Amino acid sequence: MSEPIKIKDKTVLKGLGFDSFGQGSNSCEVDVLDGKIVRTRPFHYNYKNAYDPMEKNPWKIEARGHTLVAKEESLLCPFELAYKLRAYSPNRIPFPLKRVDWEPGGDPEKINAENRGISKFVRISWDEATTIIANEIRRMESQYGLTAILAQCDGHGETKSIHGPHGCQTHLLQLLGNYTQQIRTPDSWEGWVWGAKHVWAQFPVGQQRQVNMLKDICEHSEMMLYWGSDPEAMCWGWGGQTASHIAYHFDKLGIKNVFVSPDFNYTAAAHPGKWIPVLPNTDSALQCAIAYTWITEGLYDREYIDTHSIGFEWFESYVMGGIDDVIKTPKWAEEICGVPARIIKAFARDWAAHVTVISHCNGGGYIRSAYSHEPARLEVVLLAMQGLGKPGSGQFIYFQWQLFGMQSTNAGPRSSIIPSIEGCYHGIDQAFIPESFIPKTLIPKAILGDWSEENPLKWHSFTHCSLPASDQFDEYQYPVPGASPIHMIWTDTPCWTTCWNGGNEMIEAARSSKIEFILAQHPWFENDCLFADILLPVNTKFEEEDFADDLLNGFYNHIFYEAPAIEPIGESKSDWECVLEVAKKLGVYDELSEGLTYEDLIYRGWEKSRCADNVSYEDFRKNEYYVIPTAEDWEEDEPGLHAFWRDPQNNPLDTPSGLLEIYSPSLAYNFPDDEERLPYPRYMGDGESHQESRFSPRAKDYPYVMMSNHPRWRVHANMDDVPWFQEIETSKVHGDDGYPYEPVWINSADAVELGIEDGDIVEIHNERGMVLGGAYVTERIMRGAVNQDHGARLDPLEFGVADRGGANNIICPTNVTSKHCAGEVTNGFLVGLKKANMDELRARYPEAFERKFDAATGMVISDWVIEGDEE
Amino acid sequence: MKVFVIDEQKCNGCHNCQIACKDEHCGNDWSPISLPQPLTGQFWVKVDEKTVGQTPKVRVDYHVTRCNHCENAPCMAAGENGAVYRREDGLVIIDPVAAKGQKAIVDACPYGVVFWNEELEVAQKCTGCAHLLDAGEKPHCVDVCTTGALRFGEYEEFAEELEGENVEVMKPELGTKPHVYYLNRPKLFYAGDAYDPDLDECLENAKVTLVRESDGAVFEQVTDIYGDFWFDGQVVGSHELRIECKGYEAVVKKFDADECLNLGSFPMSKA
Repeated sequence: MSEPIKIKDKTVLKGLGFDSFGQGSNSCEVDVLDGKIVRTRPFHYNYKNAYDPMEKNPWKIEARGHTLVAKEESLLCPFELAYKLRAYSPNRIPFPLKRVDWEPGGDPEKINAENRGISKFVRISWDEATTIIANEIRRMESQYGLTAILAQCDGHGETKSIHGPHGCQTHLLQLLGNYTQQIRTPDSWEGWVWGAKHVWAQFPVGQQRQVNMLKDICEHSEMMLYWGSDPEAMCWGWGGQTASHIAYHFDKLGIKNVFVSPDFNYTAAAHPGKWIPVLPNTDSALQCAIAYTWITEGLYDREYIDTHSIGFEWFESYVMGGIDDVIKTPKWAEEICGVPARIIKAFARDWAAHVTVISHCNGGGYIRSAYSHEPARLEVVLLAMQGLGKPGSGQFIYFQWQLFGMQSTNAGPRSSIIPSIEGCYHGIDQAFIPESFIPKTLIPKAILGDWSEENPLKWHSFTHCSLPASDQFDEYQYPVPGASPIHMIWTDTPCWTTCWNGGNEMIEAARSSKIEFILAQHPWFENDCLFADILLPVNTKFEEEDFADDLLNGFYNHIFYEAPAIEPIGESKSDWECVLEVAKKLGVYDELSEGLTYEDLIYRGWEKSRCADNVSYEDFRKNEYYVIPTAEDWEEDEPGLHAFWRDPQNNPLDTPSGLLEIYSPSLAYNFPDDEERLPYPRYMGDGESHQESRFSPRAKDYPYVMMSNHPRWRVHANMDDVPWFQEIETSKVHGDDGYPYEPVWINSADAVELGIEDGDIVEIHNERGMVLGGAYVTERIMRGAVNQDHGARLDPLEFGVADRGGANNIICPTNVTSKHCAGEVTNGFLVGLKKANMDELRARYPEAFERKFDAATGMVISDWVIEGDEE
Repeated sequence: MKVFVIDEQKCNGCHNCQIACKDEHCGNDWSPISLPQPLTGQFWVKVDEKTVGQTPKVRVDYHVTRCNHCENAPCMAAGENGAVYRREDGLVIIDPVAAKGQKAIVDACPYGVVFWNEELEVAQKCTGCAHLLDAGEKPHCVDVCTTGALRFGEYEEFAEELEGENVEVMKPELGTKPHVYYLNRPKLFYAGDAYDPDLDECLENAKVTLVRESDGAVFEQVTDIYGDFWFDGQVVGSHELRIECKGYEAVVKKFDADECLNLGSFPMSKA
């Protein structure tokens, strides 16, 4: 055999998870050859054999004749394997860009706001770009005051420390003195926060305390309900395939699976079990009918309810028709939710006969729909009726263990240390509450809305997911007294339109002259970048040097050094470096940078990582990582809500009464007139804020209920242009025109009725607009429901009206969760569906259809950028 | 002799193998083993997914296709000047220099897993990541399979499994003797459920009998709490289904099937 082929020059470690905010996951070994990334492999917890493998105190869970062992390497998903294509994406913003017909200074005649998204961009130098930005910031300060600057810096992008990525600009703006903050509402947990927290508290996000639930399930659970949860898809970006690994172990233990979801999701596709299709956002009817079956057949734990809860009689009366004269029978529910009454009864009995745990993975299902507080609260009530907290029961969250660096969110064996990147972190400080803020859901209203200084925009709650329920009783306003409304947006999260509620209204807001300057910094030209006036080119983390942690992988916490893998693409800089460049022009560079080099920052990262007593800096740098041992006594932590189940008086919940508040006196006291969120949970179809049920008059024109899950082949709006994913049939449907359309799952029988065939281009529409999609005709979705994953790139045919890319958030409801809940509604809404008349669309939107696109990656930046030298 | 072993029951359809192959080969030149794979269009490892049955009794079957590194490889026969050769470890390799211009190598493959690179004018396919093996590593697709569905090694390591039941190779009738083995390939299923329309209740513990006409084989089940029955491991052909439940009139249905079927919900009348 000849000389072996050289397969790499070096290996660098990178955390490629998408949680951001210093919470790493999806650690990888990235191989580099000739200055190019050649492959990405799992991170091995004994990388370079630097430590004795026993030092990390390997954990295992032995139960029922099977052993669950922590893996020796990270379990990657396709995202990491393809992520290098994001570094080399044709859509990278190569250098600073300025929209051709925008001029700084705020003159409405020279802003040409209405041309945002239409007019093209020209290359400018970093010097010119940062001069313009600094001058505009100073102009905002003198003309309006600094609250005129809105910082959009949340959501999920890459996970970095020194380089942010989200919120670096807030460090500068805080240094300057003030700004307005966009507050991310509890997008992944809307229902849990607005509903469940009032029943059982459960800091931080209203989902059940997770401590040692993994062990508890292995030992005691008999049945697992995947209620809209899909660990084979939804967990990928936040922990790779650890969730899949665990789900397979549960199968091995003989735990019976029931999949309750409109679609036969990717977990149902891979694991054995019973699929109970339920129409999107009608779960609350199904839940009420289950309660009815239990009440009438004596299949619930009345004694537990008496000793562990207050207000059950309200719920019982509601279910039995005592409040609205409607008995919530299975037959009643069948009409609403599409599950045959006999199946509801069998399901209720099956559940009552087995020790049951309900799993979730955020997103999906009912948690992001209209009135999401109802199914969330009902789930807690149903769990309570079966003795919530008894061994093997309760709620199980498949991923994001140790979220917010907390033990209470960790279902797996406790680590001896939860590491931190705080020593060198330049992203947003989520605990910081600025004087002026706007919930993310209300940004379009804040910009366009009908408010005045006398009648400001008002809402309840700071709206961040991690606050106690009592926060929801506080009222806030925009603008805060004496402060300016916003006139400038500085975003490092340019995907509002594709991820939030009622994107078409945001497009209108972004193209309003009320906003004089939009600055976006981002690696790729996509989504809200279309509406920017200045674009700064940002690196991917492959191009950066950083200090990182990994605490969401589910096996072992670790800290590691991230060496640069490749040189920066074009003139890109990191998010933090972009802000520093602006700081230079504002004369505050030294204050902001504190004169620290990356070497200094990495040292600080190690110093404050909480691991400095375990590993010296020298060893850390030599080995490039340190894996933290599992705690010796992890098995002793009482699981989930066992303690409350055992003795509620001495182990109270954090509710006002210490018990499960099925009827919430706090809600009753604070919102006595709220017809949409009563003090007790119930089925909620249509109300003042939303008419999205099949019983709404709107259903005549828009008869299908749309579900829009967290995508299988993206993380929200990330990675839509990865060609290797676009080749997969559930990722994109290529039209006759070669364009990659976002798939729309349509049941075969519905498709026949609609005259739609697999592969057709279809219009999904309602009065809020229209998006195109590619028909994926399948038995994997029930009749009456359609599914199109959210997060496809914006590719407007007509602003605020129609989109080619399938960015369906633009036609989501604009209104928030309910009257007093400023959450997003992005799932379970009414749409019409028809085969697209492409000839007619092409005639109506000739320019949009003439834009270039790449058959492998979809829409491309080139059509928006004027080629050539610097202006 | 190196073999790939694919256990389809363990595959979760994540496509890691398909994407890993592209990670390893698209744009990467591993001469003399292989030239770069184009960015898109070639699938040296491919995951196919097929939905079978009808709502709500469906199943998704994932099937991985790749070069079989056949013992009697038609591509080797088609390649001139030693363009396709077998390594000592059994892997079949297309020499990118000797094979230049030889499109016949693509056409010779009965499995459709050899691809033509227009730009480089060369036939390309899975190399078993021979360049990685020589460096002491695993094939990239195998390295990133998280479920253990895809394995690689010497035949002897898997001999016991491969000489057991539920083992297949693709198109054995061609005599190519593939070195890619499939375990637990999904078979047809026939499913349905029984209920009492008057009580509007699922019928649990009903006896369900499936008789296959071709060989008279008889399969029996009792329905579960949802009234469900689900006969797995079936083959095509004419069948008779009989549902019996104490106190009810028996239901009999004859059907011909060439695919997985949800036979539907069967109302049972009181006797």
